Amino acid sequence: MIHPRVRFKWVLLILFALLVIAGLISLNLGVVSISPAEVFQTFLGQGTQQQRLILFDFRLPGIILALLVGAGMAISGVILQGITRNELADPGILGINSGAGLAVIIYIAFFQNAAGSLSILNTFILPLFAFLGALVTAGLIVIFSWKQGFQSIRLVLVGVGVNAGLNAILIAIQLRLEPQDFMKALIWLSGELWATQWQYVWALLPWYVVLIPYTIYKSHTLNVLNLGAQLSTGLGVRSNRERLILLVLAVAMAGLGVAAGGGIAFLGLIAPHIARRIVGPKHQVMIPVSALLGSLILLIADTIGKNILSPLEIPAGMIVSIISAPYFIYLLIKTK
Amino acid sequence: MTTLTAEKLTIGYEERTIVKELDLVFPSGQITAIIGPNGCGKSTILKTMARLHPASSGAIYLDGKLIHQTPTKEIAKKMAVLPQSPEAPGGLSVYELISYGRTPYLSGFSRLSQHDRDMVEWALNVTGLTEFKNQAVDTLSGGQRQRAWIAMAIAQETNLLLLDEPTTYLDLAHQLEVLQLLKQLNEDDGRTIIMVIHDLNHAARFADYMVALRGGEIINQGTPEHVMTAPVLKKVFNIETAIVTDPRTSKPAMISYDLIK
Repeated sequence: MIHPRVRFKWVLLILFALLVIAGLISLNLGVVSISPAEVFQTFLGQGTQQQRLILFDFRLPGIILALLVGAGMAISGVILQGITRNELADPGILGINSGAGLAVIIYIAFFQNAAGSLSILNTFILPLFAFLGALVTAGLIVIFSWKQGFQSIRLVLVGVGVNAGLNAILIAIQLRLEPQDFMKALIWLSGELWATQWQYVWALLPWYVVLIPYTIYKSHTLNVLNLGAQLSTGLGVRSNRERLILLVLAVAMAGLGVAAGGGIAFLGLIAPHIARRIVGPKHQVMIPVSALLGSLILLIADTIGKNILSPLEIPAGMIVSIISAPYFIYLLIKTK
Repeated sequence: MTTLTAEKLTIGYEERTIVKELDLVFPSGQITAIIGPNGCGKSTILKTMARLHPASSGAIYLDGKLIHQTPTKEIAKKMAVLPQSPEAPGGLSVYELISYGRTPYLSGFSRLSQHDRDMVEWALNVTGLTEFKNQAVDTLSGGQRQRAWIAMAIAQETNLLLLDEPTTYLDLAHQLEVLQLLKQLNEDDGRTIIMVIHDLNHAARFADYMVALRGGEIINQGTPEHVMTAPVLKKVFNIETAIVTDPRTSKPAMISYDLIK
């Protein structure tokens, strides 16, 4: 048997390698194909003006965004599955994505300027809106499911209900949009990484830089919470308080992900599942592996979506669903 | 020595009051068995004393300090609790699970210290699980699994151990194994053990002190000889019993019982 710590290091190494390969392929593919050698040269500062523009200004920010959003969504799923002790929980199923989506749609419908482009200020306000939408939704879910403390099963059930309600409101608002905006909203809601410019990367990066390490810091708390409220209290963890803090973390990361990538379904569900199978349920190792897997899946999905029907782009979220759904069904069949 | 007492304890779920103005003193350094029919409030009392369930009114003192005013982490260094049929996440190793017992002594990123690891090894050893330490908890047999949970609780290094039906779902031999382990923990280190248990003969055999409840009230308490009597059991369970002294253990034992018609 391989020692778990050695195994963890190998898994990290392999995932890193896969990420680099996927990143290079993603840089390479596109309407204008740039070979790996040219990519390398451009990175060394020897590429042409056009190559530099395509790589640094168009493709690289998109890739970094996919990495961030993928990791965030995956970690959000890890946290939600941990605090609800339900492996089917993820920000999509609990309605948190819909809440963030609704806030963004409202913002686009009512505040977007006539030209249809978002100003610099909007770039920074949009994630905030998504976060607020996610937070309000999570708040509603907690209030409705609170009964002498934090009840996990109620939380999931209420979340499913809230999700359905929010989707209804979303459709109602969408139907009132102009046909052109409607299309835009529809594509965005199915998980399009649209914010592929550096300014969006800079708007989102600081959040992730703070939130991801903080979640890893909370690994042990998540481990203990995974034993249930009674045992965790018995072990000296203030379970209600800790679960609320972690819920806010999960909501923040889901909200940020939705702001940049729309409603990417399934990622928060599937990445922690695969990670658990590879390295087991200990969060100290599970969180980093989930995050890398989330990044990898989203990056691959985004690359496929952008190139498979080129020049037509398929939203990355749809590709994630197409890849994940069969795996998910397989999991359900295999689970006793 | 750690003491746990309750004064005028009233407990309820929403509108329904289960226990009313109950006074309880658990003897230190002894094994106490709480017995009573289903729904008499024994689990609820145990959970409330362990701060897992809020009391409606009254006070619970751990070493003379009110538990709802003491940080939960401080309590966890003095009192370990094992609720009924706990569940471990799939794939969690025995060693990992037991190491979670060290939670009250950890902060933030800090790893297990040498002392933490010694305690985990000790708990593995005492519960006879050393050879299973890398195995996943969900692949163990029922008896081994229960021993793993007890190992986690004792790795918490507390003087006081509260257990809710630690022998439920175990076969006869495994029940005895678990109870003998608890007895050993009590005798070797003078640990105070309080448990809710259904099997009256086990309660009488392994406990030094028994508390018999019905409808949230104490019907009788004291030594097994004092509590395991036909009149007390009639009042508590509404059964007619034949009690003898077990020649092997010289403790009272029930050899037959019947419903009162």
